[in-house]
Amino acid sequence: MQDKITKLFKAVADPTRRDIFHALVIATSALSITQISNQFDMSRQGVTKHIKTLEDAGLVHLDTKGRERFCNANAKPLKELNKWIQFYEQFWDDSLDNLDNYLNTSKHG
Amino acid sequence: MKDSITKEKLFSHPIEKVWDAISKAEEISTWFIKADFKAEEGYQYTFTSEPNDKGCTTISGTVKEAHPYVLAYTWIVADTKVETTVTWTLESTTEGTKLHLEHSGISNYGGETAVAMFESFNGGWDNCIDGLLTYLKDEVNAG
Repeated sequence: MQDKITKLFKAVADPTRRDIFHALVIATSALSITQISNQFDMSRQGVTKHIKTLEDAGLVHLDTKGRERFCNANAKPLKELNKWIQFYEQFWDDSLDNLDNYLNTSKHG
Repeated sequence: MKDSITKEKLFSHPIEKVWDAISKAEEISTWFIKADFKAEEGYQYTFTSEPNDKGCTTISGTVKEAHPYVLAYTWIVADTKVETTVTWTLESTTEGTKLHLEHSGISNYGGETAVAMFESFNGGWDNCIDGLLTYLKDEVNAG
C-alpha cells in the first residue's frame, strides 16, 4: 500500500505527466497514444513512458483496440490521498482551537 | 499534491506557557489526548483516547527533537503501523507566541489503512470530529 502511494507521488511529481493526466481527465472519451503524442508534440515513445508511470500509479487504464492503445484517466487514487489530508486538516484545526481555549482558561502561567 | 499539513496560530500568551502546554504530559492530557509523554529525545510516548466499547485507541511514537522551542515526534495510530511525523515550533512575537505545526508523511497512508484507522478512531475522540469521521468512513467504504 505504501508502495502504491509512493508511485502516486512519483507520477504526479512531473509537470508533463500532470498535463497528460489533466488532458485525459477533461477528455470526453479515451485518448490514444497517437492522439496524446500529437497534442503534446512528443514522440510516441516519450508518451508511452509517461503513460506507463501513470498506469503504475493506478491513474490511467489502458485498453488495446487493434493496433492502438487507448488511455482513460482514473482519479480515484488521488481522492484517497485527499481524504487523509482533509481528515488531518480538520483534526489539527480542532486541536489548536482546544489548545487556545485551554490557554485562555488555565489559571497558572 | 502535498504530503504534509501545516498550521499556524497566534496565541496571546508567553512562549513558555505555550511550550508547557504542548510538552508536559499533564497539560497535553487536558487539552489534547491523555498522554504518557516526556519532552526528551528518544522517549517512547503514548496518547490514549477515552476507553469506549471498542477499547482504547492509542497513538504512539518516539520523540525525535525536544528543545525550546521545537518539539517533534513520530505519530503512529494504533492498527495502522503507518509512521508520520508531527513537529511543533514556537516563536516569540510582540503579541505573544506564534505556533507552527507540521504534520508530514501523510502520503504514507493508503486507502486500506484508512478503514482500519477510522474504525479505531470511532468513539474515542472529541465529539467535534465525530461527524467528520462518519462522513469519511462512509466515503472510504463506498469508494
